[in-house]
Amino acid sequence: MRRSPWLWAAAIGAFLFLYLPLVIVVVYSFNDSVMNAQWVGFTFDWYRKLFANEEMLMAARNSLVIGLVVSAVSTLLGTMAGYAMHRYKLRVLPFLVLAPIAIPEILMGVSLLIFFVAINLTLGLVSIALAHIAFCIGFVAIVVRARLAGMDESLVEAARDLGATPLQAFRLVTLPLIMPGVIAGALMAFTLSIDDFVITYFTAGAGAMTLPLVIYTMVKITVTPEVNAVSTILMLVTLVLIVVAMRLSPGALRAGEEK
Amino acid sequence: MKRLLLVAAMLALPAVVRAQDNVLHIYNWNDYIAPETVARFEKQCNCKVKQSYYSDNEELLAKLAAGAKGYDILVPTSNYVLGMAKAGWLQPLDKSRLPNLGNILPAYMNTPFDPGNKYSVPYAYTITMLGYNERKIKELGLTIDSWSAIFEPRILEKLKGRITVLDSQSELMAAALKYLGYSVNDRDPKHWEQAKQVILEAKPYWAAFKASGYIEQLAAGNIWLVHGYSSDIYLADQGAQEAKQPFRIRHALPREGAVLALDAMVIHKSAPRPDLAHQFINFMLDGKNSVDLTNMIGSGNPNGAALAHIKPEIKAMSAIFPDAETAKKLEMLKDMTSRERRTMNRIWTEIKAR
Amino acid sequence: MREKTPPGIVQEAASVPVKAPARLPASPGGRLARWLVSGPPLLYLAVFFAIPTLIMVLASFRFPGDFGGLAPIFYEDETGRHLDLTLENYSRFFSDFLYTELFIKSFAYAALTTLVCLLIAYPLAMLIARSPKKQRDLLVLLVILPFWSNFLIRVYAWMIILGPNSVFLGAFNRVLGVFGLEPVTLLYTPFAVVVGLVYVHLPFMVLPLYANLEKHDPALLDAAQDLGANAWNRFWRVTWPLSLPGVFAGAALVFIPAFGIFAIPDILGGTSGIMIGNVIKQQFLDTRDWPFGSVLSIVLTVTAVALAGLAAAFARRSRL
Repeated sequence: MRRSPWLWAAAIGAFLFLYLPLVIVVVYSFNDSVMNAQWVGFTFDWYRKLFANEEMLMAARNSLVIGLVVSAVSTLLGTMAGYAMHRYKLRVLPFLVLAPIAIPEILMGVSLLIFFVAINLTLGLVSIALAHIAFCIGFVAIVVRARLAGMDESLVEAARDLGATPLQAFRLVTLPLIMPGVIAGALMAFTLSIDDFVITYFTAGAGAMTLPLVIYTMVKITVTPEVNAVSTILMLVTLVLIVVAMRLSPGALRAGEEK
Repeated sequence: MKRLLLVAAMLALPAVVRAQDNVLHIYNWNDYIAPETVARFEKQCNCKVKQSYYSDNEELLAKLAAGAKGYDILVPTSNYVLGMAKAGWLQPLDKSRLPNLGNILPAYMNTPFDPGNKYSVPYAYTITMLGYNERKIKELGLTIDSWSAIFEPRILEKLKGRITVLDSQSELMAAALKYLGYSVNDRDPKHWEQAKQVILEAKPYWAAFKASGYIEQLAAGNIWLVHGYSSDIYLADQGAQEAKQPFRIRHALPREGAVLALDAMVIHKSAPRPDLAHQFINFMLDGKNSVDLTNMIGSGNPNGAALAHIKPEIKAMSAIFPDAETAKKLEMLKDMTSRERRTMNRIWTEIKAR
Repeated sequence: MREKTPPGIVQEAASVPVKAPARLPASPGGRLARWLVSGPPLLYLAVFFAIPTLIMVLASFRFPGDFGGLAPIFYEDETGRHLDLTLENYSRFFSDFLYTELFIKSFAYAALTTLVCLLIAYPLAMLIARSPKKQRDLLVLLVILPFWSNFLIRVYAWMIILGPNSVFLGAFNRVLGVFGLEPVTLLYTPFAVVVGLVYVHLPFMVLPLYANLEKHDPALLDAAQDLGANAWNRFWRVTWPLSLPGVFAGAALVFIPAFGIFAIPDILGGTSGIMIGNVIKQQFLDTRDWPFGSVLSIVLTVTAVALAGLAAAFARRSRL
């Protein structure tokens, strides 16, 4: 293992950068002030208020459900797209994969809303999830493709020579090899989904709230530490879900190959 | 992995899908109705109130323009009511179901945006003004009573980097036009050009354009003077007191006059429950219900029956409840044509890019 | 001898896995597999992205409606019904340099963000990839965990960190004072915008890099070391070229979204902080000018995709 002290130092610096704001987020969820501006005193009030705030809890749950569904579906479709782009010379798919990442969210939100109204789809959690999947596929596909780049095809060919069907070869050889890319893609899709405001705003129906919808519209007045509290809890719940998932199926989150 | 995700999703689903037939859908600004008011109404109508939020009239408009449906009550600012009615998104009110309508003060009825209040009923108002850190301003020997506080370099020098102005083309241009002695609804391109020059000269002294987040900065003492909404300035003062700051945040209504934004309740054309919507509007017209919001966020109240119940310290603020003489100088913004908006936005983009 | 051998050997070793994948023969079965794999994502994106977006591409040739949305596509006068389409929205863009200027500025911000993200993410991704298997998952989770809190709250936290009353800024300014420098303000400056941009995009650089670096065979580095390559040569001649697909993927996932972002300059930027994303947002949520917003969006999307395509072509060429 080549983990030189320099590498350690740089990585710890990066982690400090990542966690400095998070420490503020968590610490301020105990701040005895309606405003997220400066430290006043310690309190559990915001958590107490949060657990009485049915609307905010429901929004958090909606966000979590949408995030999980979106990351599952877009990981499936995105992995297919990434694999197809690696394996075949395609013209349209690479463009369709990149364009949703590049296009301004507002334009995508407005056009999806017009489209959903035109096809008479009732706006709600489903329409939000459909929209999220559309922009998450690209992120997954690009990571999966980066993982596949330069992958040794001889293993797949060997499997085929030994009589494996293409599907078996993919499931038993390729998939385990690209698993870290797939996982990275799934994590990104989940992150993008639970954090999205603009596209969600346009594709949400009456009364269908996600956490970002509640929080962003609070800015007009003030974002209270209740939001810090709900963020902290959402983060912990997600972490627990994923760690449990890891425990339940060891190796599921890891590359299958043994080195 | 995927199976696990789906299992997790299914665990959460039953809680999400909960049929509710007797629901009133309100599409409103966030934190713009007191929770106890909602609870009281739910009890009275034996129904459930579900709210969706926007943070700007334009967000509401964009969503309606793209064809969104399913909302009963909307709460736009009244200058948007005219356009929304013309676009055919509103349904006329059935006044026979609004016996409390007489509570609204005559000054707020029958605006040019909705003659005869065919579609809209006033809800609450804010005035765009200045808010300042009393102690700092005193230390600097300044008096804040005019738009010159944010536009005149001589005054700005002492406040450099400690001012935010609203990140809104219509509001900031209106303030500059008022400073120059014109109406906020002036459409003369030459006057717009003058206003642009005023803004560009003052800009180097400002810290930022902020449509939100300035409340916190004001309460924390980072920013000393803001161009903002009256209710936000009130909340900044609440925040400063709560944090036991050594200063108070005060309102200043510029003597040149300012923009008044009167928010109104309207019913969407395809409202699923117009009956509940009328019931809600009439409920909100009751002074005892209408006053909750004023007492919560310090908003102006157009409801005569509510005035008696307003907290004395809010009622005493002349910037929010101005006398008749000052009130005459307040103007409501009128909607522009798409051409005028284009020209204005070109000016605004230049201001913000430079 | 010592100086010449390692690169040659190493390049040979490196060139094996980078070889272009074998294309499947165009047998009927191969073509079926191709459609089975690329069909579902293609169909999804066609329905939920391409078709809706075409509505807005058409909108770029129309006039804005007075109350938002679009003006009617036909107008009538005494001579009959006319199709009301225009190129005015495009000519407005091309005749006014202000908008191009903002594109250039946004490009600069996005490019700087990508570079800084790469500098921070690379060692982090390398460390995770070289950690024992059991730690890898945990470290990856630790990278993404902060991003499950809310975007707005994280950016607000930066406002506190960069604000004039923060302990961090105070400490920083004391250090500056030691060197006889004037204290600085950070909030509402371009610096704050870059910090925010880097922060919100960082995981999208770390994860693709990690996914790529994780598969590198340590045997290659051992071989290089045995042949006498020093640490820098091992990195520059082995690890870096092999990781290029990861670098490009990460760069695409950071640069493209950062190019069109509006939230960060809105919250952390000062009086001159706006990027092209802010102007696009204004067209939809301020000025009710959807057609011009569409024009700007189309230019943005085409530029970003073209840049990504150029980068990919460049990467392919440099590898051959």
